[in-house]
Amino acid sequence: MNKMIKRYLPFAKAGIQSLIIYRLNFMGFVIGGLIYCFVMFYLWKAVFESNGGQMFMGFSMTDMVIYLFLSNTTSQLIFSSVSNDIGEEIRDGNISMRLIKPVNTDLSYMFTELGTILMKLVVLVLPMILGLEIYRFCVTGTVMFNILNFLLYLSSAVFAYIISFRVNLCFGFIAFYVKNLWGIGILKNSIVNFLSGSLIPLAFMPDGLRLCLEYMPFASMSYTPVMIYMGKYAGYEILFRIGLQALWAVLLYGLSKLIWMGAIKKLCVQGG
Amino acid sequence: MRRSWKIYRLLAAQNLKRLMEYRADFLTGAVSFLIDQAIGIAFIFIIFTQIPQLAGFTFPQILFIYGLSQIPKGLDHLLADNLWCVGYFIVRKGDFDKYLIRPINPLFHVIAETFQVDAIGELIVGIGLLIYACPSAELHINVWTVLLTVIAVPFAALIYTSLKIITASFAFWMKSSGFIIQMVYGMNEFSKYPTTIYSLPVRIFVTYIIPFAFTGYYLSLYILTGTDPLWSIGGVILISTVLFVISLLIWNKGLSAYESAGA
Repeated sequence: MNKMIKRYLPFAKAGIQSLIIYRLNFMGFVIGGLIYCFVMFYLWKAVFESNGGQMFMGFSMTDMVIYLFLSNTTSQLIFSSVSNDIGEEIRDGNISMRLIKPVNTDLSYMFTELGTILMKLVVLVLPMILGLEIYRFCVTGTVMFNILNFLLYLSSAVFAYIISFRVNLCFGFIAFYVKNLWGIGILKNSIVNFLSGSLIPLAFMPDGLRLCLEYMPFASMSYTPVMIYMGKYAGYEILFRIGLQALWAVLLYGLSKLIWMGAIKKLCVQGG
Repeated sequence: MRRSWKIYRLLAAQNLKRLMEYRADFLTGAVSFLIDQAIGIAFIFIIFTQIPQLAGFTFPQILFIYGLSQIPKGLDHLLADNLWCVGYFIVRKGDFDKYLIRPINPLFHVIAETFQVDAIGELIVGIGLLIYACPSAELHINVWTVLLTVIAVPFAALIYTSLKIITASFAFWMKSSGFIIQMVYGMNEFSKYPTTIYSLPVRIFVTYIIPFAFTGYYLSLYILTGTDPLWSIGGVILISTVLFVISLLIWNKGLSAYESAGA
């Protein structure tokens, strides 16, 4: 264990350093996400006004605000750029440098990202949760922060990240076949945003579709942790949801390994 | 002028050749943008299953605004996509030198260099939505509304391009300004829905500071209401022209501040 930490710690450090160096880009993405949340906030406000009621399909406006901002933040937290990184490395041949090192390829990518995730947790998620709780206090007049839900949210987010990492890894392997990674990236993001419920809460979808999506791995990526934080799941359902996340994490681990074993045989580095 | 047009055609032809080479890539790009759009529309659809009207507009009318807002966006994406690269890496890597040593206007060269066919996804969705929404959106269709709106569309696209020129120019001082382009460009989200849903400060911001409100809502207002073309159409033309002039001034100032990085 000690040996492993020693081996992979430099990757995590490199992740933190690159986030610090590219902090302006990072800020750009954070602010971009916030702008999007605000557009959605006003849109939902108009929807609630047009609807005339206090509740919209089981969500109050306060719920909606928490959902919007927290699911956006959670998506940013668990965001994995491994599809781009591995795609680039496959294309320019640098992946060979990674393959000849005495480290596990997946783990080396993962530890680089763990560094950035820790940073994001401190500079993004905690301030956001604090802000949202202050907002909720101002609107409702009571402190609604629940430490247990918060801890469950964090543990659910861990699985959410593992799933996000594996899904992105599988997407990254597409680089073996197509060159327009950028287009694929847009495609992946919009599909994931929709299926994971970060665009529209899955609870608003027609019943059949909702059930289907709730069991797919995408829901595990931001919907499950956010719903847990909001206390929308109770008792055993929380365990069931986290168990489902764990199951998907294992399945996707297997899938990405399978694709990798097939793809690595096709790898052909020109120059580099 | 004729020389510029000839150069543009030559460069565009080069682009199309590259496209034929990587057909799968072109398809992925266009399909990606198409699906991205489809999901945005699904979102509006789901909202409208619950409410009859949003800020006083019916479902077809909202679709019309959304659709019209995508056309200027698509046009800019089609013609001026290379500005992103200026902000993200062309200046940083020192590759901008090549635009300065050729006997054509550098800005023209940058823009002419790429012809981004991925934008077809946005254009198809935009036009498709307009056609779909037209019969039921209770539009005021006559020669004037249609003609003036069509004329205003390129000007609305110019708002996108000008904002990109301004933000890309910052790279001349900062070496890399991709994140600023990203941030400002991202505000086009505001253009998809009626500006009236936003609070006053936001409304002022998207009307007068980063005027994306003109690329969607105000642009469609004349054909939706049949009144006040001076504000909606006139506003688009005036704002875009002013913004374009400002962007040229900043760009030129940036050019004189440019120092080659790299080797």
